[in-house]
Amino acid sequence: MLIGIWVDGLVQSCIYTTMAFGMVLVFSILGILNWAHGQFYMLGAMVLWSVVMLAGFPFGVGLLFSALLIGVLGMLVEKFIIDRVNVPSASGALYVTAVTIALQLFFVGGASMLWGRLEKGLGMVMPGILSLGGVNISHQKIAVIIFTLVVMAVMYFVLGHTRTGLAIRAAAQRPDAAMLYGVHVGRIKTLVMGIGCAMAALAGCFMAPIYPVSPFMGGIPMIMSLLAIVIGGIGSLTGAIVGGVILGLLNSVIAYYLSYFSEVVLFALVILILLIRPQGLFGVPVK
Amino acid sequence: MNPHIDWRNTFPKIVACILAAPALIVPLLTDNPATLSTMILSGIWAVVAMGFTLILWTGQFSLGQAAFMAIGGYTSGILSARLGWPFWPSFLTAGLVSGAVACAVGAVVLRVGGFYFSIITLALGEIVRIIAMQWQSVTRGTRGLVAYPPEAISLGFIKIDFEATPVPYYYFMIVLVAVTGLIYWRIGKSRLGGTFFSVAINPMLAEHQGIHLMKFRVMAFTVAGVFTGLAGSFYAHFLQAVTPYMLGIPESIQVMIMSIVGGVSSLVAGPIIGSVVLYNLSQFLQRAGSDLQTSGFVLEGIQPLVFGGAVVCILLFLPRGSGLIDLWTRFWKRVYKEVDFYELPEDLEEETNTH
Amino acid sequence: MALLEIRGITKNFGMLKALDDVNVNVEQGDVLGIVGPNGSGKTTLINVISGFYQPTKGGIFLDGKNIAGLRPDQITARGIGRTFQSNVMYEGLTVIQSMLVSSLLQYKTGSWKAFFGTRTYREEHERVVGRVLEILRLLDLFNDTFIAADKLSYGYQRMLGIAIALAANPKILMLDEPTTGMNYEEAMFVVENIRKLRDQGITVLMIEHNMKVVTNVATNVVVLNFGTKIAEGPPHVVMNNKDVIEAYLGTENFGANN
Repeated sequence: MLIGIWVDGLVQSCIYTTMAFGMVLVFSILGILNWAHGQFYMLGAMVLWSVVMLAGFPFGVGLLFSALLIGVLGMLVEKFIIDRVNVPSASGALYVTAVTIALQLFFVGGASMLWGRLEKGLGMVMPGILSLGGVNISHQKIAVIIFTLVVMAVMYFVLGHTRTGLAIRAAAQRPDAAMLYGVHVGRIKTLVMGIGCAMAALAGCFMAPIYPVSPFMGGIPMIMSLLAIVIGGIGSLTGAIVGGVILGLLNSVIAYYLSYFSEVVLFALVILILLIRPQGLFGVPVK
Repeated sequence: MNPHIDWRNTFPKIVACILAAPALIVPLLTDNPATLSTMILSGIWAVVAMGFTLILWTGQFSLGQAAFMAIGGYTSGILSARLGWPFWPSFLTAGLVSGAVACAVGAVVLRVGGFYFSIITLALGEIVRIIAMQWQSVTRGTRGLVAYPPEAISLGFIKIDFEATPVPYYYFMIVLVAVTGLIYWRIGKSRLGGTFFSVAINPMLAEHQGIHLMKFRVMAFTVAGVFTGLAGSFYAHFLQAVTPYMLGIPESIQVMIMSIVGGVSSLVAGPIIGSVVLYNLSQFLQRAGSDLQTSGFVLEGIQPLVFGGAVVCILLFLPRGSGLIDLWTRFWKRVYKEVDFYELPEDLEEETNTH
Repeated sequence: MALLEIRGITKNFGMLKALDDVNVNVEQGDVLGIVGPNGSGKTTLINVISGFYQPTKGGIFLDGKNIAGLRPDQITARGIGRTFQSNVMYEGLTVIQSMLVSSLLQYKTGSWKAFFGTRTYREEHERVVGRVLEILRLLDLFNDTFIAADKLSYGYQRMLGIAIALAANPKILMLDEPTTGMNYEEAMFVVENIRKLRDQGITVLMIEHNMKVVTNVATNVVVLNFGTKIAEGPPHVVMNNKDVIEAYLGTENFGANN
């Protein structure tokens, strides 16, 4: 039974990691926390449901389609909404925050209208169970873990070894200097937003076959990825990954032993971290 | 023309007063309890939004103001329902307790940087809720407390009875908004307002000018805590209940949006406009939504959709970096020039060659 | 006893020794030039004195009392003000607003009286406004009183930086590269003002690269290199010091420019 908890924890880790990674990416470049990030997660899952259940396409196709569609949506949001509202001064973050919160409501409402409020199941996409030393692990969950590893590997490769990745990192560190080197920071911002939202959508797709989907499923993952970032250190991609892993495992273990108190414990942990070591594990130290 | 009155600053204010005056006679124009209720609640949210803006004026983003409302509501609920205190002492104590908690929490938490502070205030809301749910002996847990309406006030032959209609609540709200607004306005106009502002826009420079950053940050947080606690107490006694679920993260976020949409450059008028506009909008949408439902159209999710969309549109439409109140100030600035905080001697501008 | 005594100040950033056992005495009325190649620790020294950094070792004695370890606002309250190398401004405020907001130390009335606007507060406020305008007049910023600070030209922005520091009523004023980026006339204007400040009894410490400025107005000079003091004395003596010349060798700064 214990292994089951760890596996579940790992699956949750994958989801939180993917989401947190996307969130940190967006935060590093745009300097803002996208409060609607959870909704892109939800929309990813809903689109997948439509594609797989209504249109009958296979899971993999649905996955790619969803990620692409939501990525594009993210880019449109960045270009036409966030960018318009972002003021260079300190109050820019304020308005972007307000706008992303409003967008969150908009997406929840829109999804409710398009898909109805009830939860939907996706059905087992990958039936079958792997028996590992007496423990049964569904193929579904293994697939999620493998998928996440693949995505992370791709991201590391892109960010570390491609020109676009280099441009992204430059824009994150010193946008003004990056501009002088020919990096079109505006386009990079839009692209990164797209990538971040696509990652959220992917996380939603991973989740969809395992748990029921509904327009309201975005709230908790949003908070969870926030916690993951705090643990791992805001602004650090490695931190997002480590934080996501820790959080997923912790959540699963705590939920098993203290079913009610899990959120209390998690919150307490986060506050403790913020007071003792606000920069998390990998973040930049605060003065 | 009286030469001692600064007409450029005063005239817009006179116009504003004329436009706002009808608020005083609303109960004479309608006795629809739903309308009155909406106005009363708008006023309550306005007071809380003012607190958010004040904290913002020191450079901090508090996502937990609803927690202070809850503290105020529970304090006055416990004092009045469980200890038998009359309303008015409970109400005032609620404000003090809320302020004290804000002071204590602020002294510890405001040392940590802005973003982290925001997350902690977010968590604060949850902590208060969890305490309210778990400390059953005092708060009666999820069943909540009943908060009785204030006792009737007898002034000679007039009896102000809070139990019959919402009208006394309405005037109570007006008084609360006016008093809170006056105090916040005075803070904004005084040296304190300028000091807060400098702490917000350049803390390093402000510190080197002898300004003790923590002192002012905690000050703003505490003042906001006091008035938010009062608002929370009023809220509880108006709804005549206080439960762990009614004031949480969604409410804190709602307050933030009201403040931002109203305009953060203004401590009083901005939050008021923001809360009145947004609260009325959300109530209108709820009623429209349920009307549509009863007439057969089941359009689930229309409220958040339209509300969220409306806020996005408002923010896109407003000139970059401003709120609704700034439309007003920009309008007058086209005619006049205005100087903000600190009262300067009038002859100053004539002395300098203004370009 | 000197007005300001810097004793054995060491500042480490991890492995990097930014300041190593620096000892300097500043007498009342001095204009002390702090010179040295880039990276020698000049700004770090000012940051330590102003309280922005805590020293790793050593003490700073103002009128005999150790102020090391205090917060910047406490140190400024004791009479040490400073400017910054890169122009720090209050975004969005006008010149006069920037000044008033920086003048908190000029008031004796507390926050309560200020909030209620009592008569004592208002009288004091008028006096403070008057003093602030005097400072602006001194630095040729009077005509820009109502101009947004970020719309000023570079030279005038640096002047505003000095004005803001003066608004805190300092006994000791520390200037971090006050003439950098200025042409000859502007630099001499600054020099003139430093003289005026000295005549008013303010002690000045200034980090400078421009030797003409230093020889013009400094009473004595301290030379830093790699965090240590390598020379000290009147300007013409220090300029001819062998070690100092060596430290600057290969850079254009020494003796040249403007």
